[in-house]
Amino acid sequence: MGRKILFITTDQMRYDAIGANGGRVARTPNIDSFAADGISYDRAQPQNVVCMPSRSTMVTGQNIGTHGVWMNGVPLPVDSPSVAAVLRDAGYRTALIGKSHFEPLLDPFLRFEENQQGFAGATEGHRGFDHMELATHGAAGFTHYSRWIRQNHPEAIGMFFQVLDGDLEVSNVPGGDSGAPQIKHNAVPRDWYHTDWVADRTISWLDGLHSDDDWFCWMSFPDPHHPWDPPESELHRVDWRELDLPVGYPQNQAQREAIIDAKPRHWRLWYDGKLVSNYEAPGKWVPATLTADQIREVNAMAHIENELIDEAIGRVLAAIEAKGWSDDLDIVFTTDHGEFQGDFGFLFKGPYHVDSLMRIPLIWRPAPSAGGGADATARVSKPVGLLDLAPTFCSIAGVQPPEWMEGRPLPIDDADAAARGFERVTTEWDSRQPDGTEIHLRTIMRDDFVCTTYQPGTVHDGTEGELYDLVLDPLQQINLWDDPERRSLRDELLIDLAANFVEPIEFRHAEAPV
Amino acid sequence: MATIRSHARVHRTAEDVWKIVGDPTRIVEWFPGVTEATVEGNNRTLMLKAGLPVHEEIVTLDHRMRRFQYRITGPLPIKYHLGTMDVIEDGEPGCLLMYSTEISPDPMAFVLDGVISEGIGNLARMLNDHTEEQR
Repeated sequence: MGRKILFITTDQMRYDAIGANGGRVARTPNIDSFAADGISYDRAQPQNVVCMPSRSTMVTGQNIGTHGVWMNGVPLPVDSPSVAAVLRDAGYRTALIGKSHFEPLLDPFLRFEENQQGFAGATEGHRGFDHMELATHGAAGFTHYSRWIRQNHPEAIGMFFQVLDGDLEVSNVPGGDSGAPQIKHNAVPRDWYHTDWVADRTISWLDGLHSDDDWFCWMSFPDPHHPWDPPESELHRVDWRELDLPVGYPQNQAQREAIIDAKPRHWRLWYDGKLVSNYEAPGKWVPATLTADQIREVNAMAHIENELIDEAIGRVLAAIEAKGWSDDLDIVFTTDHGEFQGDFGFLFKGPYHVDSLMRIPLIWRPAPSAGGGADATARVSKPVGLLDLAPTFCSIAGVQPPEWMEGRPLPIDDADAAARGFERVTTEWDSRQPDGTEIHLRTIMRDDFVCTTYQPGTVHDGTEGELYDLVLDPLQQINLWDDPERRSLRDELLIDLAANFVEPIEFRHAEAPV
Repeated sequence: MATIRSHARVHRTAEDVWKIVGDPTRIVEWFPGVTEATVEGNNRTLMLKAGLPVHEEIVTLDHRMRRFQYRITGPLPIKYHLGTMDVIEDGEPGCLLMYSTEISPDPMAFVLDGVISEGIGNLARMLNDHTEEQR
């Protein structure tokens, strides 16, 4: 009998969302316990800051340029390699429960396997998962969760925020108390909400296993991704009026706009509502109109959703304990990318490679039987990426990571990271919108600097970029790209980026906006 | 307004290709996700695998020019749509199959581009295994 693997992901969660990383609002004792008994990675980055590319990297262990899911809407080919298949072939029972998003969600012609399974209620899975039960951010679409809601609680369908408007654009309908976009007071009972459904279905799958089975379960919560519509019964947890504003939000408008103006031009264009380069950010919403109260309320909603996730995790852990598996259980907790949540005066995400979106929580609690526990606690400051997850799962399972995986098993401490050359991590963005807008970013993080170069597109001419000193400027408010004194550093980073970046072989067509 | 276009060269006569393209009910044979097509006068109704109907107006069915045009009228959230299929004898062997779409709102272009490209590919394979498909 080997080690069991519980892989827990959230969607669009900031590094500072949890107590273990300094979060002071949401109570996340279960997640924090992973850090207390395991390894926290303080510089973990996704390889892309939107869902489909990032999740494709998690399941393949490959760079964006290799698996080819370069923007949302580009499906991961069904025959792409998968860590789940590797583990299944090694004798593991495998499941993915919650949000997958390897294939487009907006699929009226039901072309994609995951939507077909959700529509039919089939759970046989694919991509190496024996079992799939899928969910996304509400009751719409063809997921198993939406089917469950339709069949069991049809009255709840209209309770969730309606994500798309009549123009098929992501809605900016205001809600809540502050009129923030994508907030809704949701009358759905807590036990019908997708967070608890994901935990319920995970427990149900685990209950069906034999006690001596080895298993890999990816439990994938759709929250705290917008829309921010947690059950209204839970709103008492955080009073948004009592929240401090994020430290990344310059409250002085002139100061805020000066910071934005020192960044590449698409920052200001989005701020003024003149350019939206990510479909998931409401096209009709103008960030310059965002108020301090709206930022507070959005943050409160995210904190509430994170508390619900933590409590759902606690229920699953209790079920695992009851099965007698805890001693052999490895837990890996992370998310696919971050969220602005008010930083610089923005919400949502897009082609903006700052810590709000790029720095993510990542914790590995090794199985106590394999040395995990309070004596093995570490914080790793060296950079790691989500492409390191798949080989880590192989390593836990005692399987040699296949050659097609491009990451490496996560280091257990900084000494291990230094010995194995964890020096840099790269993140990329490519987007082509129906109106022809193209934006391309290539980013390297190493030696406490983040450097982003902008390839020529329809907005940038190839000369713009960003360079931040994460020690002196942790909020990335001072762009050093054009600082003559940093020119040689910038050039060195760009050379290193070019030497270590995997460019896409081809840009396959997007099959849906999301 | 977004415009999208897919095409394929088919190594069959234009007349052969038009037998399928020019019959609006035969879309079920090649278009992904369509399980049923009924035509009444100038109206075509498709039933999708997901149980959703799509209502369309047939705008042009020109057997001489081998051109088929239609509009989606509901219930998909579409403000303007015109789909055009042309089967063209262009002097090369076989014929050229062209599928052009004008659509608003823009995000639907992503959805239709993918499904139409797959459909054109299906149609080309159905007609001739040696077809060179191009987007």
